[in-house]
Amino acid sequence: MAKKRAGVRKKGLWHGWSGLFIKLGLVGLVLLAGLTIYLDAVVQEKFTGKRWAVPAKVFARPLELFAGQKLSRDDFLTELSALGYRKTTAARQPGQISVNGNRVDVYTRGFQFFEGTERAQLLRVAFQGDQVVSLGGTDSPVMGRLEPLLIGGIYPAHNEDRILIRLEQTPPFLVEALVAVEDRDYFQHFGISPRGIARAMYANVRAGGVVQGGSTLTQQLVKNFYLTSDRSLVRKGTEAIMAVLLEAHFSKEEILEAYLNEVFLGQDGRRAVHGFGLASQYYFAQPLHELQLHQVALLVGMVKGPSLFNPRRHPERAKARRDLVIGMLAEQGMVSEAQAEKAVAMPLDVSARGSMADTSYPAFMDLVKRQLREDYRDEDLTSEGLRIFTSFDPLLQKKAEQAVQGTVKRLTRADAPSPLESAMVVTSAQGGEVLALVGGANPRFQGFNRALDASRPIGSLVKPAIYLTALERPQEYALTTLVEDAPIALQAEPGQTWTPQNYDRESHGWVPLHQALSRSYNQAAVRLGVDLGVPSVLDTVRRMGVDHDWPAFPSMLLGSGSMTPMQVTDMYQTLATGGFNTPLRAIRNVLTTEGDPLRRYPFEVQQRFDPASIYLLQQAMTRVMTEGTGRSAYNKINSNVRLAGKTGTTNDLRDSWFAGFSDDLLAVAWIGRDDNSNTGLTGASGALQVWSEFMAQAHPRGLSSAPVQGVVMAWVDAETGMGSDPSCEGSIQMPFRAGYQPLPGPGCNPVLSEEGLKDGANRVMDTIRGWLQ
Amino acid sequence: MQMRLPGLLAIAVFLAGCAGTGGSVPVVDSGRPVSNEDITYAPGAAPQAPPQAAQRTDGAVVVMVPDEAGGSQPIQSYPVDVQSQGSGGFSAPSSGSSLQQDEQLDGPVLALLTAARDQEGRGDLGGASSSLERAMRIAPREPQVFYRLAQVRLAQGDAAQAEQMAQRGLSYAAGRPTLQAGLWELIARAREQQGNAAGAAEARQKARVTS
Repeated sequence: MAKKRAGVRKKGLWHGWSGLFIKLGLVGLVLLAGLTIYLDAVVQEKFTGKRWAVPAKVFARPLELFAGQKLSRDDFLTELSALGYRKTTAARQPGQISVNGNRVDVYTRGFQFFEGTERAQLLRVAFQGDQVVSLGGTDSPVMGRLEPLLIGGIYPAHNEDRILIRLEQTPPFLVEALVAVEDRDYFQHFGISPRGIARAMYANVRAGGVVQGGSTLTQQLVKNFYLTSDRSLVRKGTEAIMAVLLEAHFSKEEILEAYLNEVFLGQDGRRAVHGFGLASQYYFAQPLHELQLHQVALLVGMVKGPSLFNPRRHPERAKARRDLVIGMLAEQGMVSEAQAEKAVAMPLDVSARGSMADTSYPAFMDLVKRQLREDYRDEDLTSEGLRIFTSFDPLLQKKAEQAVQGTVKRLTRADAPSPLESAMVVTSAQGGEVLALVGGANPRFQGFNRALDASRPIGSLVKPAIYLTALERPQEYALTTLVEDAPIALQAEPGQTWTPQNYDRESHGWVPLHQALSRSYNQAAVRLGVDLGVPSVLDTVRRMGVDHDWPAFPSMLLGSGSMTPMQVTDMYQTLATGGFNTPLRAIRNVLTTEGDPLRRYPFEVQQRFDPASIYLLQQAMTRVMTEGTGRSAYNKINSNVRLAGKTGTTNDLRDSWFAGFSDDLLAVAWIGRDDNSNTGLTGASGALQVWSEFMAQAHPRGLSSAPVQGVVMAWVDAETGMGSDPSCEGSIQMPFRAGYQPLPGPGCNPVLSEEGLKDGANRVMDTIRGWLQ
Repeated sequence: MQMRLPGLLAIAVFLAGCAGTGGSVPVVDSGRPVSNEDITYAPGAAPQAPPQAAQRTDGAVVVMVPDEAGGSQPIQSYPVDVQSQGSGGFSAPSSGSSLQQDEQLDGPVLALLTAARDQEGRGDLGGASSSLERAMRIAPREPQVFYRLAQVRLAQGDAAQAEQMAQRGLSYAAGRPTLQAGLWELIARAREQQGNAAGAAEARQKARVTS
């Protein structure tokens, strides 16, 4: 009865509700249809448009190879290893090298440059000392170059990075392995796979927990591409509908390609590593298409859990997973047993972190970004996949970092109240290209970029401007002109008397101009500067390339004005290039993501000083290195290498500076503290140590001593600067501005000394032989 | 520049033809010293196409490799085409010797100057400029590179930089009168384009004195 009543009631209820159900069902269907139409639009819109925002990629300079190139074998191998070249017994395909004593065979990868395409080719490079002595190859190449090292990207706020690849660029086994592991029915299903779900459920029930997911690759792509990662049923439903829609509109190949580029494969600090293209670079430092079975298997295995199976953090777990993937491939007959065994026997092969490819160069990237932001909008930089080619030299950067870190460590006193900081700028002396940049004692630290932003008094670094102002007046000054190093009292600012002191607290009387510079005598510099006029000297600083608003106080003559290391570099660059100011450049050119030329940053110069005056100043600055405040540099550097430079020390030893150059390299080093307290270091005991440590490793090419147009050599007495003769004791050869050299003095009788006697006898014999011939 | 272009084009095409490298970096084993034609053509004088490469003599360019002390030492030589001296319608350099210092360019620089000429011939001035800057990185004191850079800047319509490049070239051209004259001539043209007639005349005067 009760049963019956219940049945009746139920029936009645059903009758009552059924209409509603039908109506609701219809509404549901309409809603579902609406949703489907909406989702369809979403799917199509995003998939056909530009799918990813690709950050701009920043590249180092490509390494040039030619006979005569200054490059050591070890540096070459460092670069090759950072580029992910693999050692083999004989290089047979791109990305391989073989090393045999002083000969390195490298099969280059080829690359699209601004000037054109560099093709992949086998180059045989022979080294001797620090030089490439010959370059060989199939059609005797005159030169070749490697692809440039990728040194960073310009990421949008969410820090997603990827290197887009096409399906054709995938290495063998990648697609097979991915399908075998993640979605066996991929090429059969329509977006969702009932068989896959069933298989997963069976596996999960048997294992008593979730061990396998039933999501197809399409569903995974939809999830990453369109949806958030919450695990609701609604989201699952939407995902399924979208997966089916995606399959309806696009081919399996298109979907797979999108998947390969979208999948998340790791986290590099703040940067998210997306897609197999970038993952290949990130884990193996190699382009994707070069990967072998064991490497492919590792990446495919990581799809399931990029951090769980991170080969750098959990090598054993990653290897087990990799071998499992290889096993699955063998099981499904995609690779032979022998292939699988060989692959399982391979090590993980992951590139070392901290090698050049993985390290970041925050200081240099900062400079690149600042220069780019003058020409591009942020959104273009973070999304258009621009390819930015810079002058950055990773080999020199490494040497600069080592010099900074090593020296700072050595000079740090345990009881110091605050840490020593340092910065360094290295440029090509003639071209003004920034080659290396160190922004602090910890070059990896991303923050205060001292090379660009620490503006400090430059001390004696300003003195070359004083002497250059003098040398531009050849009727009044030559290198041999005597200047007075004696106490002087000046009105510095209204009401204040200023009495500059020499560093050794002594005055040296009348000294030749070149000596006043090389020994960095303060009193001589101030007297000379005042004679020339402080405004003239400050104008010379401007002409050297640094705009400043320093007041024309005499204290400016000893460098109380401030500059950043970069500005100092700009100033000294004009001296290194023989009087031509060159805007410092870090970027050479920009290509679009397709490899089309977009913009060039051409080399530009502006003549500011005549080459003769600069030549004379350079002469005096080489004396800084041989006999003046910079001479300790030659404790580390080969004394055959002619160098020019200047030390700088500021009040209370707050800042230690050194700026100097060879024929090919200009480097500026600074040491100080962020709180501006005493470092206990002079320019010579601090920054010069960084500088010479760097130069010793960089093997600079010495400056040429050949006089330039408008300069003549003359013999003078070293002390008085009066014209002399080579036969006179104490006479030296000095360069002069043509037309302003002293008249030669009378010859001196050679003084016969016991030692000189034998020499003299030989000379007599030579003369007699000369008569007989 | 306008008047010269056909000549340059002819040379570029010829070089491309006989070098036969098919793209990428030209391997210039048949390249002629580039300086000659630059310096010694009178503007507008159409150069005859040089005879076939079969006439090539066995001259060699000595590669000067700078050593650490700043001097140079020869380490290797490349065959170079020296038939242009007096035989192919080129006026011989004033010295008349088979190889002037001006022509002692080593392999890569020569290759890049040739590549730049090629690019310039195709109207790709940006590419030419890039190649020349690449040459400048390898040989930063080679005035012939600055000479070519100045030419390309002129063609790009940047007369001010053309003048500066030529000035920079002059600062490295001590003892090379032919090249100096050519550089002064370029300065004269750059000044003309900037409307500085007096400066141009002065530069022409210097070109005559130095050559």
